[in-house]
Amino acid sequence: MRWLKKLRLRFRSVFQRAALERELDDELRFHFDRQVERNIVAGMNPEKARLAAAREFGQIALHKDECRDARRTSMIENFWEDSRYAVRNLRRDPFLALTATLTLAVCIGANTTVFSVANSILIRPLPYPNSDRIDWISERNGPAQQDIGAAPDYFALRERNRIFTDVAAFQITDVTLTGVERPEKLDTASVSPSFFRVMAAQPLLGRYLSDDEEGPKAPPIVVLSYEFWHNRMGSDPQILGKTLALDRLSRTIVGVMPQGFDFPHGTQLWTPAMSLDPPSQRFPISPDKPILIVSMLARRKPSVGPVEAATEMKRLSFAIGALYPQEMRKLGFRSDLVIGATPLQDYLAGPLRTALSILAGSVVLVLLIACANIANLLLARAGSRQRELAVRMALGSGRGRIIRQMLTESLVLAIPGGAAGIVLAWLAVSVLNTAKPAILVRYPAISMDWRVLAFTIALMLATSLVFGIVPALSSAGIQIQDALKSAGLTQSAGRGATRARRILVVAELGVSLVLLIGAGLLARSFLRMMHVQLGFSSDHLLTFRVDPIGYSFDRNYGPFYSEILDRLQHLPMVRSAALVDDIPLSHNQYPATGAIRVVGRPIVPVPERPRVDTNEVSPEFFETLGISLRSGRIFSAHDFVGMPAGPRPGLLSREMVLVSESFVRRIFPGQDPLGQQLVFGPDDLNIRWTIAGVVSDIRNTAIGDLPSMIYRCTCGAPQFRLGFLVRTAVPPGNAIRPLEREVRAVDRDQPISDVKTMDERRDAALAPERFQLILLGSFASIAIILAAAGVYGTMSYLVARRTREIGIRMAMGARAADVLRMMLAETTILVLLAIGAGFGGAWALTRYIRSMLYGVSELDPMTFVVTSVLLAAIVLAASLGPARRAVRIDPMTALREE
Amino acid sequence: MSKPTDLLQGTLDLLILKTLALEPMHGWAIAQRIQQLSKDVLQVQQGSLYPALHRLEQQAWIEAEWGESDNNRRAKYYSLTKAGRKQLERESISWERLSSAISAIVRA
Repeated sequence: MRWLKKLRLRFRSVFQRAALERELDDELRFHFDRQVERNIVAGMNPEKARLAAAREFGQIALHKDECRDARRTSMIENFWEDSRYAVRNLRRDPFLALTATLTLAVCIGANTTVFSVANSILIRPLPYPNSDRIDWISERNGPAQQDIGAAPDYFALRERNRIFTDVAAFQITDVTLTGVERPEKLDTASVSPSFFRVMAAQPLLGRYLSDDEEGPKAPPIVVLSYEFWHNRMGSDPQILGKTLALDRLSRTIVGVMPQGFDFPHGTQLWTPAMSLDPPSQRFPISPDKPILIVSMLARRKPSVGPVEAATEMKRLSFAIGALYPQEMRKLGFRSDLVIGATPLQDYLAGPLRTALSILAGSVVLVLLIACANIANLLLARAGSRQRELAVRMALGSGRGRIIRQMLTESLVLAIPGGAAGIVLAWLAVSVLNTAKPAILVRYPAISMDWRVLAFTIALMLATSLVFGIVPALSSAGIQIQDALKSAGLTQSAGRGATRARRILVVAELGVSLVLLIGAGLLARSFLRMMHVQLGFSSDHLLTFRVDPIGYSFDRNYGPFYSEILDRLQHLPMVRSAALVDDIPLSHNQYPATGAIRVVGRPIVPVPERPRVDTNEVSPEFFETLGISLRSGRIFSAHDFVGMPAGPRPGLLSREMVLVSESFVRRIFPGQDPLGQQLVFGPDDLNIRWTIAGVVSDIRNTAIGDLPSMIYRCTCGAPQFRLGFLVRTAVPPGNAIRPLEREVRAVDRDQPISDVKTMDERRDAALAPERFQLILLGSFASIAIILAAAGVYGTMSYLVARRTREIGIRMAMGARAADVLRMMLAETTILVLLAIGAGFGGAWALTRYIRSMLYGVSELDPMTFVVTSVLLAAIVLAASLGPARRAVRIDPMTALREE
Repeated sequence: MSKPTDLLQGTLDLLILKTLALEPMHGWAIAQRIQQLSKDVLQVQQGSLYPALHRLEQQAWIEAEWGESDNNRRAKYYSLTKAGRKQLERESISWERLSSAISAIVRA
């Protein structure tokens, strides 16, 4: 029952304050009176008795305060009183309130925005039941872990694992909506039936795939996404059983997924994975059949922890690797298989993790600068409030109580800033969602939830503590007598406060310099990337893909593409046009790289062979892009006349390839590459490719690398779906419609997709870097503005403090120049200390952005020097005003002032 | 007479509880009683007495009631609760242990 009593007492303390105060008064009064009575009994006269009792009693107010403290809830009461007092105080100092609110609004807003992004992508669980148990399966065979795996492994994992309730395989593809006026590509995932079970999703309407709807015999059915159903089908409630013409095949709609089911991101349709064919893809497999590449997911059993999962994956990797036929493994294929399971959220967030950590680090630094600034303002104010505080202390406020009051004031100061920060962050998040910077495209919309709110409130509390603690401690250290005696003549805090302000300014400047250096490094790296030689001109170059439906490589890809190419080349607005498999600078999901062997060199296992990039291009490719021939010759369509179509089995010595200069430097250093022969992949395919020519380098996959390229010809019988590169004589945008007309003149059901100018691709390739640069750049700007304001404030303060001293100096004959020199010396010391601190910080921190830098060292001396000069210039500019004020001091007035 | 000894931190709680174990009392009487029983060695300052009383009340070891004092004035009477009695036992035991330990050392 004790807790009940306690509770009642606490309740009384909070809600019946007036009654309690009265009782306390009565109680102490009673004691006092008894004391007086006793003194009278002891023989004193009443007057003396009263005085003696009072002396013995001491400070009544203090005792009362201690009694209230004993009730513990006085914290709450004091807080309330202090807050009201703080609000009154701040009203008298609107400049401080406004500055602090604006500063905090911007900085807390920036922090909240970055946290909202991190929360939406890294922290908030994915919107699927028990999503922490969904794993992404990756496979390594050779150098690096890859996001994708082989279909046989999917079947094997399903049958052999002990830790998953289900394993799913899927492929991200697109299908063409046909039978409509303008055919269109729809983002599709072809999935195993287990896919929906792994995601633990329930359909909104109808059903999803049943267990037997897998492989080539799966019925032509389709499941729609909520968005597709809502936007394109008008939310038709009778949709089930209707059909869609997809790739000219009529598919029955069997289900609609609920809103928010968005995996893989952006998918409009889910279809059964027809190519997941157990007879050809299940173990035992035969080496002559192509292995299907799939993405895999699995749902872990509830009881399985990470350690157990890791052990099991190790066992499975070994067991499944051993299932591959001996002859394949001898060639190095699957000899070194590692199958890994990563929580889906970690996998999805992976690419953003570094970027977000860096942004988060930077905004926290900016916030620290803001704290230092506000602390500086408060210190200045604490100086002018010394008397008030001294009076309070003389009247019996303890130091703890004063500190608490000062901290309450800083909290009150922080609240409007925090609130405004939330509003700003909300605006910023809406802008991010509408503008969708490339770096966020792959992720769902950013949203704010209770976590963001909790974060902001915590941040606000922490912030007010950080900027309030130094001023609070320094005011609690006031010497009461001194402060009261000086009676308002000096407006300055003691030496300690001045030193605190200097340290704060140096810290601010140092942190700003770190941010400036970071932004500077990114800017330099970005400029490098911008000016990277692509190796070809991106001007007036339009690119698009045509993924034909109803065609295949062994039938009629060749004629289809050549006819389109021919038509395009005859358009007057087309200077030249070419076919290409991988459009340069397009972010290909599965970049074509492969291991090669030079015929005549010792045979080593596949994983140890050099890996190079390959691309299939038509002979016009080089002319269209402006790639020059260094030696040999470029293949032409005539080289391939009379060759059989389709995948070419058997030995064909006339197969020709062209290679890039980088390739030659790497594979044939100091040798003549012409006439050398290469073998791709497993040796038993036996095709020997002869190098016919060497061409200049281009950037193929990303702006960063200069790849070793092998070009094969699409001539005659292309084996892949292809894209087009068209150099136009008119602005490329105007060419899109005419080009599309030519494609549809060949086959009216074929849409063109991924239509972009090369300049757009170039921009898109730089988008993540640009985004980082803009954000870090703006954080650095905010930081330097805040720091400049801090310098201005501190220098003004120093001038005000030294007015008398300067006045005396001038009266003794110091000239304006001497005073100026004195002030500048002060500034210079601050700057030098700050640069030292900033360099130290940058040296420790820039290594974390190393991975984002291209062609610039993270300790690039140029950037360090330029940013510190910039910092020094800004600081000098900021202290010029106060310095001029110092110069203009009139000795007479200055001396009379105090 | 030498100066009254300052009370050891926390000892005051024990003394108050012990004093109240006899009968309910108001603050002034508690102070007087402690001074008497200690033969004027211990003198309780009001500044520590009342905060201590309020603290003990918050702990629900003692409870307060307004009553008539011997000279017909309203006074706040404190009395020991059940929990307070147990607390007194605990504190007495630990005090015994502490003081005998200290004496052992001092006399050694």
